[in-house]
Amino acid sequence: MASGMQEKQYTPSLLSFFIYNPKFGPREGEEEKKILFYHPIEIEKNEKIRNVGLCEAIVQFTRTFSPTNPAKSLHTQKNRQFFHEAEENYWMVMVVRNPMVEKPNKDGKPPTVEYQEEEIIVSNLFNGTFSRAFEAGGVELLTQKLEKFFYRYLQTLHLQSCDLLDVFGGISFFPLDKMTYLKIQSFVNRVEESLSLVKYTAFLYNDQLIWSGLEQDDMRILYKYLTTSLFPRHSEPELAGRDSPLRPEVAGNLLHYGRFLTGPANLKDPDAKFRFPRIFVNTEDSYEELHLIVYKAMTAAVCFMVNAAVDLNREFCEQLDSLVGPQLTLLASDICEQFNINRRISGPEKEPQFKFIYFNHMNLAEKSTIHMRKTASVSLTSVHPDLMKILGDINCDFARVNEDEEIIVKAMTDYWVVGKKSDQRELYVILNQKNANLIEVNEEVKRLCATQFNNIFFLD
Amino acid sequence: DNMHRSDNRGSWEFQPEDTLTEETGNFPSTLAQANFKIMSESWRQHRKHVFVLSEAGKPIYSRYGNEEALSSTMGVMMALVSFVQAGGNMIQSIFSDEHTVVFLQKGPLVFVSVSATRQSEQQLRRELLHVYHQIVSMLTQASINRIFERRKNFDLRRLLFGSEKVLDGLLDVMDSDPSFMLSAVQCLPLPSSSRDALSHILQKAITPDLVFSFLIANNRLVSVVQEKTVLEDARLKPSDLHLLFNLIRASAFQAGEIWMPICLPLFNHDCYFYAYVAYLDPPECTVCLVLLSTDKEAFYAVAECKRKIEEAFASQNALQWVANTQLYYVDDISVANLRHFLYKPSKVLDHHRQLSQEERIRLLDPYRNMHNRIHSTSRPLKLIYHSAGKETLLAWVTSKFEMFACFTPLVTKKSAISELTKLLRWIKKEEDRLFIFIYAFPLTFQSQPCKRQSVTQNVKK
Repeated sequence: MASGMQEKQYTPSLLSFFIYNPKFGPREGEEEKKILFYHPIEIEKNEKIRNVGLCEAIVQFTRTFSPTNPAKSLHTQKNRQFFHEAEENYWMVMVVRNPMVEKPNKDGKPPTVEYQEEEIIVSNLFNGTFSRAFEAGGVELLTQKLEKFFYRYLQTLHLQSCDLLDVFGGISFFPLDKMTYLKIQSFVNRVEESLSLVKYTAFLYNDQLIWSGLEQDDMRILYKYLTTSLFPRHSEPELAGRDSPLRPEVAGNLLHYGRFLTGPANLKDPDAKFRFPRIFVNTEDSYEELHLIVYKAMTAAVCFMVNAAVDLNREFCEQLDSLVGPQLTLLASDICEQFNINRRISGPEKEPQFKFIYFNHMNLAEKSTIHMRKTASVSLTSVHPDLMKILGDINCDFARVNEDEEIIVKAMTDYWVVGKKSDQRELYVILNQKNANLIEVNEEVKRLCATQFNNIFFLD
Repeated sequence: DNMHRSDNRGSWEFQPEDTLTEETGNFPSTLAQANFKIMSESWRQHRKHVFVLSEAGKPIYSRYGNEEALSSTMGVMMALVSFVQAGGNMIQSIFSDEHTVVFLQKGPLVFVSVSATRQSEQQLRRELLHVYHQIVSMLTQASINRIFERRKNFDLRRLLFGSEKVLDGLLDVMDSDPSFMLSAVQCLPLPSSSRDALSHILQKAITPDLVFSFLIANNRLVSVVQEKTVLEDARLKPSDLHLLFNLIRASAFQAGEIWMPICLPLFNHDCYFYAYVAYLDPPECTVCLVLLSTDKEAFYAVAECKRKIEEAFASQNALQWVANTQLYYVDDISVANLRHFLYKPSKVLDHHRQLSQEERIRLLDPYRNMHNRIHSTSRPLKLIYHSAGKETLLAWVTSKFEMFACFTPLVTKKSAISELTKLLRWIKKEEDRLFIFIYAFPLTFQSQPCKRQSVTQNVKK
């Protein structure tokens, strides 16, 4: 088996992504009209039509067997295609190249199937319902909007580093003591009272959520957008040195460190044009279009959402700036101080004893001691990717039944992986205890549950 | 009713859309729309559909429904396969919430499985491979390839006429018997002295070109004897044995004897053996003798062997040993929480089971899922312990064995482990009785020395 050839590794990568609606071009010769968005643009027109045609055929074929549950994915030797009917007749398709290890005469480890699901959801936040947009401005408007959004969004996809945490799409909550939490609550209340235009607010610290007035599903999507797209784009200037040209303009404004992440980059410039991104929330029953104002001071960030019908002018922004800026700055340093005090009490953070991932489906809270750093482009985990895939397998098995279960697995490397599901909570623990047996592993995990999750009942 | 198996399967006319992809290379959506309407709800409810068609899109077999009526559905399947192929790619599977569709192409034949059983793609593909092999067992791979080379449009149903029940039977048994999942054959437990005596009787009844002799009781293997020179060349795989058993089951004869050609695909997929099959205990017909010869004309000589075997059985009252066989039950081992298990020593063929038929079949689903995880090509495992609502399941693979066990749901880990240990000790003790270790067999043949030649040379097609 030894050969001189070097192994080449190809990671999974996005080959193409497109959106179509078969109703738009039902007759022969009109196929091109079905395509609402196609990436990469350079693909020849006929090939686009063929690819869309294949998707349609596959969906229809599977309807033969189950009219209400058509195909979700197609696997071929070279790639995988994922289908998602975002709304009735609007289909999104993502084509991913299979990861391959090129050895002489051998190929392909299959990738995990999980990671594609999350990508689909985020778009809904920004596009509202496709049908609404269509009514408003016709197909052209829709295609324009799609193009603008997806072009930018697709660049933020990093398929090779997706794992179980992405499947959950949870929210990381920042742990706070009661006093500080109340301070934040009252801050939010005060602002909402003074600025009556504000409909919803969300408060984050250090990329983690503290408080949100939005519906859970909407917040989940907004959180994802903030942490993978908006915040990373703006993080550099804050870290820049004092004399760096990147440093935000704070001349004349030594009262606070607040600034707009969306909207006016520089309030001092009277001619600068600005606008706030619009988002769509509550899209299930009612339909709301809102301006998204994200305002940040140091590591604290607040999102204010205002009805999109309102025109937000410079005056409003200045009012917000002078009201929120100082308070938020103060709050941010309060939180920081409190956090440091707590840390000193609980002791320095050494290597976490247990490697685990916890997710609660009810409040979307997630916690991971496995991910050391999770930014948009990279997800550093302290465990081998194959072990993460085993977590994914266990998660799939859990998803089959709606009961409380426990799965313990011993991997080839003698690592033990324990998965527990109780109510709507899932806990995954990885233990590196090669010589342990089932009983000992069980005891270890019980200890973990007793210390970290003592108010949650997991199966023994 | 068009949807049920009709007697007039023999309609040789086939009117497919000749070109399923138009000149522009587009996939005609009208084609896909068409067959959507004709399927009835009952047809859709079936847990696993299996379709066999030729590369030209001609239907060959459908597990449910008349394959003629399904010809347009099969046409769509073929179009999907060729469409993807045209892009230098190969279609493998389609997943939806309820179904998994798996494609397999072997030579000029295409196999499609549409399954709601939640089995993995690999497991479903392996089942399709078994279906292919069963067809090969009836026709040989060489003739299939040759036929289609000459005529791409050939209707293979002409050669398989009457064999649908063989495929039906195979699919049914794959859904209820864990042997396929484990790639193993179940043996009848016998004290090794009895088994040796039976094998001895088989060994003495020989004739030139007789290569294999099997004794099967109630679908379990009692004894297998193999001609010495053949053993050096190759050993029988469990998969081939399953196909053989299935063919015999499907022929559903009782009294009398059969002489039929059969190809053992994994042993040699291009040539036929000739199988003599007879029950030794009519009218109960539970003990079956199978003698495989490479000589097409050897019927009388082989029948004579059977007669000798019958005589020897009668004189030693051998049938009684088989009848008296104690099927063991879990109670024997006094493990209160253990409900059921499968055990397969590595390198050899066997497993066994208890519980009611229904429960065993139900357990097959979770066993298959664990089997799939434990033997994953990219991330295999050594052990799985799964506590669920209805039961606690365990799967364990070591270098010496592979086992699956089912415990009551509230069993503690301590009890489970201790009962498992007890079980393993018991199995070790009873090893001789439970399993057949093929290469532990003495196999000298007496009388005329056989020329040492490999089986293929001796084949008459």
